[in-house]
Amino acid sequence: MTEALSVKNITKAFPGVLANDNISLSVEKGTIRAIVGENGAGKTTLMNVIYGLYQPDSGQIFINGEEVTFSSPRDAIAQGIGMVHQHFKLVPSYTLAQNIALGVEPRKGIFIDEPALNKSVKAIADKYGFQINEREVTVDVSVGEQQRAEILKALYRGVEILVLDEPTAVLTDIETKELFVMLRNLVEQGITILFISHKLREVLEISDDISVMRAGKLVGTVKCEETDECQLAEMMVGRETIGGRMRETKQKGELIMEIEGLSVLDNRDLTAVKDASLNLYSGEIVGGAGVDGNGQEEFVEALLGLRPLTSGKIRIDGKEIQELSTREIREAGVAYIPSDRYRSGVAVEGTIWENMVPGEYYVKPYSNGLALAMPEIMMMSGTLIQKFNVATPGLDAKTGNLSGGNIQRVIAARELGLEKAKVVIASQPTRGIDIAGTEAIRQMLIDYANRGAAVFVISADLDEILSLSDRVVVFYEGNVLDAGYYDETIRQRISWLMTSGKDYCVD
Amino acid sequence: MIKNFFDKAKNSHTWKENLVNLTTQLLNYLIILIIALFIGAVVMFLSGKDPIAAYAALWQGAFGNGYRFADTLDRSVIMILAGIAGSIAFRTNITNLGLEGQLYIGAFAAAWAGFTFTNLPAIVHIPLCMIAGIIGGALWTLPVLYLKMRWKIPELVPTLMLNYIAIRLTDYLIAFPFRDPAAPMAGSPLIAASAKLPKLIKGSTINIGFIIAIVLIFVTYWFLFKTKIGYELRMVGLNQDFAAAAGLPVKRSIFLAMTLSGGVIGLGGALMIQGFFGRFLGGFSSGYGWDGFMIAIIAQNHPFAVFPTALFYGALANGALTMQSVTGVPQAVVAMVKGTLVLFVTVKVFVENIRKGLRKWAM
Repeated sequence: MTEALSVKNITKAFPGVLANDNISLSVEKGTIRAIVGENGAGKTTLMNVIYGLYQPDSGQIFINGEEVTFSSPRDAIAQGIGMVHQHFKLVPSYTLAQNIALGVEPRKGIFIDEPALNKSVKAIADKYGFQINEREVTVDVSVGEQQRAEILKALYRGVEILVLDEPTAVLTDIETKELFVMLRNLVEQGITILFISHKLREVLEISDDISVMRAGKLVGTVKCEETDECQLAEMMVGRETIGGRMRETKQKGELIMEIEGLSVLDNRDLTAVKDASLNLYSGEIVGGAGVDGNGQEEFVEALLGLRPLTSGKIRIDGKEIQELSTREIREAGVAYIPSDRYRSGVAVEGTIWENMVPGEYYVKPYSNGLALAMPEIMMMSGTLIQKFNVATPGLDAKTGNLSGGNIQRVIAARELGLEKAKVVIASQPTRGIDIAGTEAIRQMLIDYANRGAAVFVISADLDEILSLSDRVVVFYEGNVLDAGYYDETIRQRISWLMTSGKDYCVD
Repeated sequence: MIKNFFDKAKNSHTWKENLVNLTTQLLNYLIILIIALFIGAVVMFLSGKDPIAAYAALWQGAFGNGYRFADTLDRSVIMILAGIAGSIAFRTNITNLGLEGQLYIGAFAAAWAGFTFTNLPAIVHIPLCMIAGIIGGALWTLPVLYLKMRWKIPELVPTLMLNYIAIRLTDYLIAFPFRDPAAPMAGSPLIAASAKLPKLIKGSTINIGFIIAIVLIFVTYWFLFKTKIGYELRMVGLNQDFAAAAGLPVKRSIFLAMTLSGGVIGLGGALMIQGFFGRFLGGFSSGYGWDGFMIAIIAQNHPFAVFPTALFYGALANGALTMQSVTGVPQAVVAMVKGTLVLFVTVKVFVENIRKGLRKWAM
């Protein structure tokens, strides 16, 4: 067997994170290599280095035994490496063939030779056994077909090494099965595949070898037939107990929010949450762990009345709220810190005060009838901004000019400052925030729980879950699975649930 | 400590800073205006006309004497209303491209109320026609709203298409059911004298419509920036996902902004019929709805900036006629100047950006 690709001692640091720490690995030609690890383990960084998107701080890359350096993906493609990103990069209004050949179209004079283009795309598709309607417009085809086009785009450029970043994350079960058949086909024709995934079951099904990463380091590489989910899960999370626990586990209080048999569809009308139940108690912090895209967003949006339920009941203090508007749900005592603060947390073009009052502006004393009561609004916003240590030149400043951490403080001040909420739903509350800001936001959540609220923290960052939670649930393929109370072995249970949906391991 | 913070907050926006901001903004517009006029001049020069004489005639036509100035103010009324209508929609992030059609429907509704009722006192008849105009303009947005709310169809194309339907529909109405054979061109019957707007100055067309327009500027400012509903509209406009997550009534805001926008331009139509034409005339609008769209863009959707912009547009419209008849320079030059203005405002050729650009270029 010959070696298709290898990297030696790759190190890549970002401000504050060592994303890749001295990584060496080698992949044989015509095999499928899976790279697994938790969020933030450094998988995608490594792939981006291999694809020329990032330049490593140190280390070497070899293709077919020869050392190469890439200053851009263009170089990588020229050397035969192609990558398919999690988010497709296709022009929606072009046909699949036009997308596949984009930039390298066959030409006739100054014009693109459409018939030759369609023919050449068809030829490549047939060669690798891909079923594709190359003349269809991209927006009109399924996600699975768009992905096939993405893969063909790389193959059209003659690549021999294909990097797939979480290819199954966007696919249905059937589409995943189809993808795996196609990948096997490619490998038989001598293509080498690197495959990033979280889902151990799929990894065990498709790959030849599996490399496990943890916290920027390569933990090890194992042969697929010689390993199982248990071993992989353990390699992924490690055995060490974690430091940085910010919370003493508390006795729970009375039941505040009851979620019963919740089912929700995603934007494509596929089931995103299946019959999920969860109870939130006063004074308790519940962590919602899980890999992104397992139904967390849809679950939260359903709780807030932002997404319709297909079935289920939600009660606060025994009163059903699933039919209520978002405003009524919030008035019933729900605070919400959304996962994407720029998309739905604030209006970045708005001023600080405008972002502070959307829950208050319409009631006395912040409004008198028709008009806004500006002195009261300014007083309230100013006091909370002060209390939550938001660094801003003034209440009339544009919110988008603040740092991410400060914007998150604005949101926390708005949602928690008036202490009206009985339930706090915080989704990825510290994503992309510096360390000091992260600590502060976490402390705010803890303080708020200590004052008797039910707090539900959803995070893809396992350390965040472990540092805050009294009890943990895991989102896995739309199910909300109970990982139980915090104890020494919770990390293991969570990682099993996250990767396989089971909280035990049979050796 | 809190007091300190408020002092700091206050200090960050002293009157001095406000003045500097205002001056920079004015300077921005002045520069853009000069560039636009200069480009117009170059074109005139290249086609063998004297640009200075042409602009002098333009100025004469717009502001040459008290009456002409008054006529220019009168002409700016519809520009103000159109600009405000555009601003309300844009502030809510609604692209209402249907101002022109809403204007026609509003104007016709007002004319209908004007010629149908004949024995009402002016104090009742005048506002009745205005209300008819508002309702007409607002109703014409409902099909778009239905498509948007029910089927999530963006308003862009439906509003645009309804323009043509509105123009042809009113053409039909004055050609058949409401035809006045005595009218010099295709038109409705004359509205009753009791529906006409009282003039402000003898010898000019200016009428109380101008006062209504000025009041409307202040009301719109108050509404958008000082009321609960205005806050909702603006937040929905700035970030609809944020507004929804915070519990703001998103659908209601969109509904309201769209109908208000149509209502305001419909009122503009009423004022034109009641103050100027005296009857509905086919094709009476020379693109005022489109002017409103442009005015809102140039004014960056601020009611106070709508006034000078509308006045400028009114001056161009009136002055262009004089310019064409005196110097033979076609009115199209004015359209070019307007277009250049919009272009430069949209791409933000502003002092601060020019400075940034120069710095980059120097490096």
